Amino acid sequence: MATIEPAQLNIGDERLLPRAQLQALINVLRNEGYTVIGPTVDQEAIVYHEIRSVEELPEGWTDEQGPGHYRLARRDDNALFGYVVGPHSWKKYLFPPISTLAVSDKTSDGWLMRAVEETPPRYAFLGVRACELAAINVQDRTFLRGPYVDPIYSGRRNEAFLIAVNCTQAASTCFCTSMKTGPRCKTGFDLALTELRDAFTVEVGSERGARILTQVTTHECPSESTAAAEAARQQAVDQISRQMDTTDLRNLLLTRLEHPRWQETAQRCLSCTNCTMVCPTCFCSSVEEVADLKNEHVERQRRWESCFNPDFSYVQGGLVRNDIRSRYRQWLTHKLASWHDQFDTSGCVGCGRCITWCPVGIDLTEEVAAIREIPKCPP
Amino acid sequence: MPPVTASPPVPQFAPATNIWTPHAVRIVNIAEDTVDTRSYQVEFVDSQLQSNFAFRPGQFNMLYVPGAGEAAISISSRATTGAPLLHTIRPVGNVTSALARLRRGDTFGLRGPFGSSWPIDHLTGQEIVFVTGGIGLAPLRPAIYHVLDHRADYGSVTLLYGARTPGGFLYPREFDEWTSRGIDVQLTVDQPAPGWNGHVGVVTLLLDRIAMKDPSQTQVLCCGPEVMMFYTAQSAFRQGIPPHNLWISMERNMNCAIGLCGHCQFGPAFLCKDGPVLRYDRIAPFLTVKGL
Amino acid sequence: MTLSVEETLRSLSLSEALPDAVIAQLAALASIEQFGPGATLFREGTVHHAFSVIISGHVGLEMHLPARGDVRILSLGTGDILAWSALLGNGRMTASATAMGNVELLTFRGDDLRGLCQSNHEVGFHVMSRVATALSRRLLATRLQLLDLYSTQKPQIDPVPRM
Repeated sequence: MATIEPAQLNIGDERLLPRAQLQALINVLRNEGYTVIGPTVDQEAIVYHEIRSVEELPEGWTDEQGPGHYRLARRDDNALFGYVVGPHSWKKYLFPPISTLAVSDKTSDGWLMRAVEETPPRYAFLGVRACELAAINVQDRTFLRGPYVDPIYSGRRNEAFLIAVNCTQAASTCFCTSMKTGPRCKTGFDLALTELRDAFTVEVGSERGARILTQVTTHECPSESTAAAEAARQQAVDQISRQMDTTDLRNLLLTRLEHPRWQETAQRCLSCTNCTMVCPTCFCSSVEEVADLKNEHVERQRRWESCFNPDFSYVQGGLVRNDIRSRYRQWLTHKLASWHDQFDTSGCVGCGRCITWCPVGIDLTEEVAAIREIPKCPP
Repeated sequence: MPPVTASPPVPQFAPATNIWTPHAVRIVNIAEDTVDTRSYQVEFVDSQLQSNFAFRPGQFNMLYVPGAGEAAISISSRATTGAPLLHTIRPVGNVTSALARLRRGDTFGLRGPFGSSWPIDHLTGQEIVFVTGGIGLAPLRPAIYHVLDHRADYGSVTLLYGARTPGGFLYPREFDEWTSRGIDVQLTVDQPAPGWNGHVGVVTLLLDRIAMKDPSQTQVLCCGPEVMMFYTAQSAFRQGIPPHNLWISMERNMNCAIGLCGHCQFGPAFLCKDGPVLRYDRIAPFLTVKGL
Repeated sequence: MTLSVEETLRSLSLSEALPDAVIAQLAALASIEQFGPGATLFREGTVHHAFSVIISGHVGLEMHLPARGDVRILSLGTGDILAWSALLGNGRMTASATAMGNVELLTFRGDDLRGLCQSNHEVGFHVMSRVATALSRRLLATRLQLLDLYSTQKPQIDPVPRM
């Protein structure tokens, strides 16, 4: 069957990509100067790393997730995307864990300060789930749509090519349906794949996506494939078992800041910061000085930070959130309530990472349910 | 519960490069204010930047000492475009201590201006009461000068200022001028020293005793320790001043000053861009929550 | 134009929402006193029989310390009560009071006022509840003074991070 000329692929078109052509897609992207980032198995988890070959994808692997639990297991098929999300999120590439903001040099005339000019890397993300598309949209609001635009995020984001993958299963920790972020990829991608046995259906999401897709061999999508893809995506919906009631959640949390549940959860929480590290929307950072020995060449470095660190918030007299109860409350009320005031959206996309990667298995859907209950003693 | 965030202020000063880059400033003058504070007058090394720099009363700059870091310091000078900037500094941490070691002619870095401002130009026709304590007068000084320079636009203007001891008042040499230009300046201390024949006691007592002409037309602009601001509010409400007539300036550690690092959050507000000046009724429910 | 004792009493916030009958009975026991700058209103440790409310001006309260002499601990102004011990206690003053400028006081003989409160419990309730409110506010103000809010010293004991 013939390939189609560029002029004839439009946004919304659905094509069939033979499984063997996935490597060609990666090659086209690399030839265009993209660094392809995709899922791969490393240290018994599925993480996001630069990949060059389909061989590096987690073929035949799946993940078993629960509160404080993550294990890989073998599938009985050779699916390339038969799992959900791991400890990495795409924020690792758009909002890098360490970056240099400015450089100062001491001269005979005093300090000379300048920005760091960087050519932003061009990333192609292969395997972006619906919840992750939503998370990128949430971080866009933080870094791009406020009064100040972060040039580091913006440079990388403008260049990023997103190949989404529709989930065909759900982990027990997933609750994207409650947050209305998935499992179906609806918008915000350049291309969206749904994996079938020997092929992928590919939906075109942008002109850039159309242009890239025409450089690989695709076929008209037969109706059986469309139906099979629909059924596969429905399987993800059917497997969702966790729920979070988000009714009036912002007001609920901000009017129950003294609920006894905060104290109970503080007994379990270790303030270890895992949840903030794995959360795809957390954006807190700290800027630190890195100086040479003579203190004449100094760099300002921005690093990921967490509100669970005791000295995250302080005034001149001392620490403000000086116990785990305050810090856990800050994280949850920020994520599920204050985020609405700040960015006109929830900060949570229902990916379930915080539940999986919490060493003591704290589940925020359970926390919300508990706070909804009227406490026995007055709040 | 009302939303806390005000619409973000339009940045007055667009940095020449990007938002993360400090610009070099030179120390023009240093004045000793009290035993532990000094005021630094600075100008940008780039004269073009200096002549274009504009800010509004209540805003702050991030002062940068390479190797030590940045500190958020309110701007205390008159808000005149192009005028040298005044920053009153008390050495309490790494950055402020590093600043305290600098001399006239030395350079350091500056980003700004940031933050919300006292809405003083919208309060014309109102009775104005400034209530402050300690170093809290520093961010109010530009608002006081705005009122002085437009004195006929306002009703009665009162400054209630508390300090720990008589030696703890900032800018004391200016009080006589302020009085002569139509501000009722009332001072009080927590602990008197020999020779002090003025008021003793917390500054809220001075607010209790003001005979209000019309509380509904009275605006209170308050800056000081959080506990002091909370009880100033209670005194104001007892006087019949409505909560939407009360403006406070809050403090938390600031790291980026542009609402991206998360450190300065107080409830839903980023104090660096929704604050530091906040209208009281919008933030009131959060002020009584411990460890927020 | 000088106000009558009753009009003066009505102008003070202490009399807010007091029934007219009560105001009349209180006014009958009161008189207006005036003092010039520096005048001593009463001395610490002595017995003082008058309970006053400040009409205008400021009064400094001082306590004597052997090493430091007279130390002003508080200044009072319009509406503040003075010498509450004359009403509530044995009349022995816990501080000295000095006029900081021209001062006008509305003064009651402590015994008379106490007698009226004992014989007329309605009046007693009103007087005592207002005194209690005034004292609770003064207690709060004292606590705020005690907190040393403008201190620049780091706390002696670092707040223990409670896990």
